[in-house]
Amino acid sequence: MSDFVPAAQITEAKQALDRLRNNMRVTIRGKDDVIEQVLVCLVAGGHLLIEDLPGVGKTTLAYSLARSMDCAFSRIQFTSDLLPSDVTGVAIYDETVKEFVFKKGPVFANVVLADEINRATPKTQSALLEVMDRARVTVDGEAHAVGTPFMVFATQNPVDYEGTFPLPESQMDRFLMRLRMGYPEATDELEILRTARGGYDGIPLNPVVTRSEILSLQSLAHQIFVEDSVLEYILRIVTATRTEAEFRAGTSVRGGVALRMAAQARALVHHRDFVLPEDVTELVAPIFAHRLALARQTSDALEERRAVSAVLKRIVASIPHPV
Amino acid sequence: MASISPRRPQLTFEELLQVRWLLGGALTLLALWTVFYMDIEAWTLMGLATAVTVAVLVWPTLPSHLPGWVHTAAFPAIVAFFAADLWLYTEVLPAMVRLDVLLLLYRNVGYRQRRDDLQVVVLGLFLIVVAGVLTVSLAFAAQILIYTGIALAFLLTLTLSEAAATTRPPVSAPPAGPPAWATQVQWRQLFRRVTAVADWRVVLTGGLLFVGVVLISALLFLAIPRFQLENSMFLDRLISKRSKSGFSDTIRIGEVTDIQQDTSVALSVDVTDRAQIPAAPYWRMLVLDQYDNGTFKFSAGLRRELSGPRTTSVLRGEAKPRLGEPVFWTFYFESGVSRYLPLLGHFEELRFREAQNFRFATTLGVLELREEPVTMTAYRVEGFNPGPTLPDPVFAQRWRNRERPATTYWTPQTRTLTGETDRATLTRLMREAAGERAVPATEFANRAKAWLRQRHDYTLSPRIPPGDGDPLVRWMASREAGHCELFAGSFVLLARSAGFPARVATGFRGGTWNAYSNNFTIRNSDAHAWAEIFDEVSGSWLRADPLEAPTNARAEETRGEASLAARMDRSWSARLDSLRVFWYRRIVNFDQRSQADTMKALKTATEDSGRRARLALEDTMRRLKEWFSSPWDAKRLAGICAFVAAIAGMHWVWREFGRGYWRRMRTPRRGTRAPDPIRDEAGRWLARLAEAELAATESRDLAVREIGVGAPPVIGDLQRLRFGSRATWPPPERVFRAARQALRESRRRAKVRR
Repeated sequence: MSDFVPAAQITEAKQALDRLRNNMRVTIRGKDDVIEQVLVCLVAGGHLLIEDLPGVGKTTLAYSLARSMDCAFSRIQFTSDLLPSDVTGVAIYDETVKEFVFKKGPVFANVVLADEINRATPKTQSALLEVMDRARVTVDGEAHAVGTPFMVFATQNPVDYEGTFPLPESQMDRFLMRLRMGYPEATDELEILRTARGGYDGIPLNPVVTRSEILSLQSLAHQIFVEDSVLEYILRIVTATRTEAEFRAGTSVRGGVALRMAAQARALVHHRDFVLPEDVTELVAPIFAHRLALARQTSDALEERRAVSAVLKRIVASIPHPV
Repeated sequence: MASISPRRPQLTFEELLQVRWLLGGALTLLALWTVFYMDIEAWTLMGLATAVTVAVLVWPTLPSHLPGWVHTAAFPAIVAFFAADLWLYTEVLPAMVRLDVLLLLYRNVGYRQRRDDLQVVVLGLFLIVVAGVLTVSLAFAAQILIYTGIALAFLLTLTLSEAAATTRPPVSAPPAGPPAWATQVQWRQLFRRVTAVADWRVVLTGGLLFVGVVLISALLFLAIPRFQLENSMFLDRLISKRSKSGFSDTIRIGEVTDIQQDTSVALSVDVTDRAQIPAAPYWRMLVLDQYDNGTFKFSAGLRRELSGPRTTSVLRGEAKPRLGEPVFWTFYFESGVSRYLPLLGHFEELRFREAQNFRFATTLGVLELREEPVTMTAYRVEGFNPGPTLPDPVFAQRWRNRERPATTYWTPQTRTLTGETDRATLTRLMREAAGERAVPATEFANRAKAWLRQRHDYTLSPRIPPGDGDPLVRWMASREAGHCELFAGSFVLLARSAGFPARVATGFRGGTWNAYSNNFTIRNSDAHAWAEIFDEVSGSWLRADPLEAPTNARAEETRGEASLAARMDRSWSARLDSLRVFWYRRIVNFDQRSQADTMKALKTATEDSGRRARLALEDTMRRLKEWFSSPWDAKRLAGICAFVAAIAGMHWVWREFGRGYWRRMRTPRRGTRAPDPIRDEAGRWLARLAEAELAATESRDLAVREIGVGAPPVIGDLQRLRFGSRATWPPPERVFRAARQALRESRRRAKVRR
């Protein structure tokens, strides 16, 4: 982490991000906060888990992001009979060259939409999660790098638990954030009703950001300055989740690092070259909520979500901001 | 938990319970400590209770291993113990103290509920207060202070944990094992947590509370009517006291040795005029005249000289009033030394702190309390005559008429030995010491002292040669070393065989001058025995100390500062003793008169300072007026310049050093980050502006919110100063100036709108 980011770079980043944001707003209406979180996730180089009902625009969101950037997009619909090789690719014997040739799976793209990820078997889930963690696929002892930048948009449906395999906590940890879309405002929905057409291919989007711009944004985010007291603030929040009696276990070290990286990304998204405590405060819920489980039993998943975010809110309120 | 304080990191419920357990144990240990100085037989119990308390503090899970029947049997067992104790020893107070210790012990072998915790506080307080009333010692003062502090913290923890317990889901059934908090005790980590949680506000509030309690107690002490607590409660009647040293009316040779190992303070003396202090003071307590085979005794004949017991607080003495300022000697005589009070000689008047029941013999200079005091005894003596001679006209009269039938009064003071051989040996030795011809008493004393000193060395562990006859004569005839009693006894026997009445006097010799509290401190190890020989010429008893260094023989008369210099004690123990003397002077010896004096002094001081302040103010105003009306010249201009320069310099010093320090003091603890004044300042400005913003938005006018303090450039700059990289900082002073303007602006606007 260098101490100094040239102002010109910040301005460039601002322009690129503004273009990206404006482009996405064309298709995703009235969801500026979600767009911002997605941008944070993108800049931080993390993966995103979107949890909401079908048909609220999860796929559209992923699609519009992928199309706004000059990079490859692929979509995998997870089902219970999906095999790991359907995700990563498979080596098949090529008669012509008399050897095994690796056929790349859909995961070889820059933005991968893993739809309804919790419907796949744990084996397939973990195949994807290995890719998410290391950004490469290992088949028959041979490593194949997936695209850079690499970002997984996973979606899952919290209500539909019939025939699903919930992701274990250790794998939830791989996602930087978990977001909810929610329904749009009435005026925005009216606009959607007026303009929306079927099919994603019909969405009129042109790439506004190059792949190299995304990569430089990501490397710039690492240089955003974090003052010691802000780091301590993060540490206090992490420690508080560990001492909290209501949680089964606290946040992992990876969770703390994720919070720091996301806060840096958010600062960049807000055109700042330093992190404010607000950046941290705003991101605690999306980054920590899916990594924590309640110690007590809850009647259903929705109640657990609500309880976890209530406790997180209380923890954040109880820790004084660095003054 | 959240209701206690919403913004600070807090101790968890378990940690609170741990702190509570720790403080309860500390209170118990502190209370048990009283047994050390109370002189009540509770040592075994105390040791047991201390060991158990320490053990359950170190291993808090221990109580859960105790079988259930212990708790069932505890109550009947304790009652039976108390009853048996009372019946066997028939002393109420010691039995109650032992019961208290036992209850404290029992309260520490089980996990305490709220009620039990309160019981610990009360039990401990009982022990300490009883000990305090009985001894009025300095240890009591220290102990009650510490106890107050810990008890305050303990009660706070109790309240907090009780409050926290109400917000927690109730446990359906108490688990069989140790409670959760006890299994996870790690005192070191707890200590770190507590220090992390307690910031200076908490500490300051606690400290202020404590000081407040102490101050209020002190004021109450000043204001309440004086009465002798120990006398009113007859507590001293409830406890039988034994003397810890050997100052009784019988001394067997060799008994003093034990006392001399004991370096605790026996007596403290205040003198209003230092010049009056003799170079080698002899604090005389008792004379022993009757000799019988190695034992000197206070004979029945002399005892008859003591006036009948009377109860009063003032006693007239033999000495004649002298010219000049009266000199007062205030004695603070520790308990457990003797019931014979030390005196320097004849005096004009002796005044006790409170009325005492005593017997007194003017001519002997012996004052005997009816009972050995259990608390420190304070008395003030006016007009001492601290010389080496003690005029005794009564004895002189009888001695002149000694040819008449012998009276029991003086016989013991002249009788020597019964055995023929012993007497012959004694006479031979006497001749050897003093020569064949009869000499006056003073000359005889000098010769005998010199002879004894030259013949025997001084040692604390003497050996008496075996053989028949009188042990003292055997020692005298040998060349063995000996201690003060042997020297004094031998001198007395020599003098008597030469026909002079003589007797042994006991008490203390010397002492040290405490440089901190300016008083004499005499320790038990200063205990001494010397001889007194009757001089017919002056009609008085002469002090004859064979162990007195010969060079000092004439220096007896040198008094005052010069002799004190040699006695100066500046050691650490002297500091401690000075604290003790302060306690005596100001607290224990606090009677109605000094109370009134203190109140008056307090009132005068308040009035005086008020008047002085008013006068000073008026004076300043007058001078200022003069200064303004006087003409201008170069000197005045230079003065003004110097003044301005001084102000500027002070301001600079404050900005450079003082301000940062003050901020570091004020800012709440924020972990390990090194303090950075500019970041701190920026943070403060941000907080102030945010506050002003809040005030502006609350003032109902939406326009304020839009054009108010949200002036983004200042906020952005401040944020950069506070959280940004140092390399990107804008000039801080400019930003702070802008922030000041923005704040002023927003306040003004908020006021106008409202």
